[in-house]
Amino acid sequence: MKKNYKARNKTIPLLTTVSPVAVWLILLVAAPLLYVLFLSFLSTDGYNVVFRFTFDNYKNLINPTYMEIYANSFLIAFFTTLICILAGYPFAYHMALAGKKKKAVMMVMLMVPFWTNSLIRLNGWKTILGKTGFVNTLLLNLEMIHEPVEILYTRGAVLLGMVYTLIPYMILPLFASIDKLDRSLLEASNDLGANKVKTFLHVTLPLTFAGIFSGSIMIFIPSLGYFFVSDIMGGGKSQLIGNLIETQFKAANNWPLGASLSMMLIFLILIMVTVYKKSGGNMEDLGVM
Amino acid sequence: MKRGKVILLTAVAAVLLSGLAACGGTQKNGTLNLFIWTEYIPDSVIEGFEKETGIDVQMQTFSSNEEMLAKVQGSNPGAYDIVVPSDYMVENMISQDILLEMDESQLTNLGNLDPAYLNPSYDPESKYSIPYMGGAGVIVYNKNMVEEGADFTDYDELFKTVYNNSMVVLDDFRSIVGITALSMGYDFNETDETKLGEVKEKMLTLKPNIKSFDSDSPKTLMITEETAVGLMWSGEAALALSENENLDIAFPEKGMYLFLDNLCITKDAKNADNAYKFIDYVLKAEVNKEISTEFPYLNPNSAGVALMEDAYKNNKAIVIPPEEIAKGYYVKNIGKTVDLYSEIWAEFTK
Amino acid sequence: MRNRRKKFGSVLSNIYSYLVYLFLYLPIFVVLLFSFNTSKRNIVFEGFTFEWYLRLPDNDSLLNAYGNTLFVGCISTVIATVIGTLASYGMSKYKFKGKGIIDILLYIPVVIPEIVLGISLLAIFNLSNVPMGLTSLIIAHATFSIPFVVFTVNARLAGFDRSVEEAAMDLGAGRLKTFFTVTLPIIMPGVISGAFLAFTLSVDDIIISFFTTGPGSNTFPLKVMELTKTGVTPDVYALTTIVFIVTVAVTFLSQRDKKKPVKG
Repeated sequence: MKKNYKARNKTIPLLTTVSPVAVWLILLVAAPLLYVLFLSFLSTDGYNVVFRFTFDNYKNLINPTYMEIYANSFLIAFFTTLICILAGYPFAYHMALAGKKKKAVMMVMLMVPFWTNSLIRLNGWKTILGKTGFVNTLLLNLEMIHEPVEILYTRGAVLLGMVYTLIPYMILPLFASIDKLDRSLLEASNDLGANKVKTFLHVTLPLTFAGIFSGSIMIFIPSLGYFFVSDIMGGGKSQLIGNLIETQFKAANNWPLGASLSMMLIFLILIMVTVYKKSGGNMEDLGVM
Repeated sequence: MKRGKVILLTAVAAVLLSGLAACGGTQKNGTLNLFIWTEYIPDSVIEGFEKETGIDVQMQTFSSNEEMLAKVQGSNPGAYDIVVPSDYMVENMISQDILLEMDESQLTNLGNLDPAYLNPSYDPESKYSIPYMGGAGVIVYNKNMVEEGADFTDYDELFKTVYNNSMVVLDDFRSIVGITALSMGYDFNETDETKLGEVKEKMLTLKPNIKSFDSDSPKTLMITEETAVGLMWSGEAALALSENENLDIAFPEKGMYLFLDNLCITKDAKNADNAYKFIDYVLKAEVNKEISTEFPYLNPNSAGVALMEDAYKNNKAIVIPPEEIAKGYYVKNIGKTVDLYSEIWAEFTK
Repeated sequence: MRNRRKKFGSVLSNIYSYLVYLFLYLPIFVVLLFSFNTSKRNIVFEGFTFEWYLRLPDNDSLLNAYGNTLFVGCISTVIATVIGTLASYGMSKYKFKGKGIIDILLYIPVVIPEIVLGISLLAIFNLSNVPMGLTSLIIAHATFSIPFVVFTVNARLAGFDRSVEEAAMDLGAGRLKTFFTVTLPIIMPGVISGAFLAFTLSVDDIIISFFTTGPGSNTFPLKVMELTKTGVTPDVYALTTIVFIVTVAVTFLSQRDKKKPVKG
């Protein structure tokens, strides 16, 4: 009897929790997605979109140069994500273990810099890393180098810019997942003789995997598209997928090709998530799907 | 909860602020919706126009022709009265039937323009566009950082290996492909595939020389002497030269890449009358002087230029010799060949 | 022995956090410093001046844009946080048809190029007669923020022990009461984190705002973009510095409010 009652009543909470997002996404996200899909099958007359159906845009994607740009972007995105995990985890851990007041202060202090325009902050880095910038001046004065070194306009600088722009998107979900850990569990593990490393690897890490995964999604995907980071920090010399798509929508004005590049990107991301789902096991446990 | 309150208060304050601003803006003689490039018209000019005519100017800005087109096409017809497209975009907007054929009798100050800029290739009878400001892709170099006898009036100088990793160039594929083609004796708007194949090979020898692609502020790298040579818009070049006396400018002999931005009225403009008034106001010599003083771009308004001081008139980065302009090229619609250009560009910048 | 090691560890992790903060604030210090620079070039500090502050455009359009940004940021954050939290909660708790589609759609605003989202939203707003201005901006900003809230709350909800809820309900609490008194407090750190991310995305957005705003409702980042067209100059830095200090002051005040002992 009771079971039945519960099952019947599930509809209302389900509707109240899920229908707002469903309606919102269908109206404002599904429609743009369909528009991109539609666009990706159209042609151009060199300048404007014409309504002639074609697969050419997808055929044009199989181009060694584009492949190379894709590979490069994925590499940068991978390292950005990895660095954010490694650098963000200890910080998030520290924040989660802090007292209530300190926690709030730490979180606010973490976010405040990001409320300043990102282009201006990246320009600040340019001043720091340039040939006559702080870093080079310091190293020269310490006589560690005799000639200014090239830091800006390299891949390393792009990576630094990416990590700098995206790291809160790793720290906050990590914090959310570490913070919920039952501290007595860790202590129990310690008391049972497991050393700290073992406790971390076998207890803490698996329990906070959802945070790592959420953070990785929010860093890996945007870093494929953040063309302005590559423009400002790398001098536009190493194109990322974002730059490639941006060029199609602006300078080249080839929207259909831009649309098909976007579709391919969306497709690749979904494949990655699905593969992960199939191999890495249960997304449900990870709280992602 | 307290934080919620603060946020709420801030929000309320914000609403009040924007409400106040909106009220302050209402005036009697109608409005004018102006859609123009960022940093392209001084506030004082807008204010002067509002004072003289009582028309309230609503300005919105854009930073690329394509974004502007997308926004105009996506908005309600007539949402913008005046738009400011560049040369090739004027041609395209005419073909898309977005622009209004202007009634020249409403523009009393048309005579202030240098006739050399009228009837351009993109609008042969100057029916839809009034030239506003422009520029040319010039070469700036640091006399102390290049070898004696280096001749930058020749594009080939840029391709020499001595300039390894010491150049800043426009982040614009038409400019790089175009000048490389010019250096080989081909057309700036080359469409021949075999020739473009050769152009690509030659471009790849330029790549090691480039330190940064920068269209927005290439002057910084030149002023700080982080780069020895720069291909940039003349407006930027003028600012660079005024800040570092080691810099000099060269106009390549084979012709420069030119751009010219134009004041146009949209076909469905709701305030076309006000738009005419605004364009005529901007064409006035004194007003034009105000604009030139703030923005050192190439200025087709010869009456305005005549009012400027000698220092301005003698600055060849600003007042480019007419014979150099006459040799220059505008970007043209090259049809499907543009796809080949963007492929070349992808390979060049990967 | 053990205590000392613990202490050493905490000192070390404190030092590490300070290093992270140093990394995050370093470019802001540069902005602060160079807003007082006599040279226009932002490369070498040549001398101290207040000139740029005095020359700041004193028109209300800047103030107006800043107000718009805060307003849009706050409202869109509230919308995204409520919708996103509900979604995360509902989707982790229930199985239903079409869940897979919602999952996929959540990734789209993150993957899709901003210019495409901007242009499509513009088209949708035009078709549905949504007034172009603050309303359209708020809807657009909430759209790209929702997934970030969902992902962050998901991280918190993973492995959430449903038996706590069951227990509360067995004790007679209704669904709503259970949600607000049991579940929400537990997932709160995730919700707050998500809200922070949503707000950050909103106050920094340029491209989507460009397409979804109407005449007369500029946002602060769009204004900054205008000023940086010809390169980042000290007056932009001066403006940024003022905004930064105001932000810090407001945040600090709200923190102080919070610290007052509140009973009950």
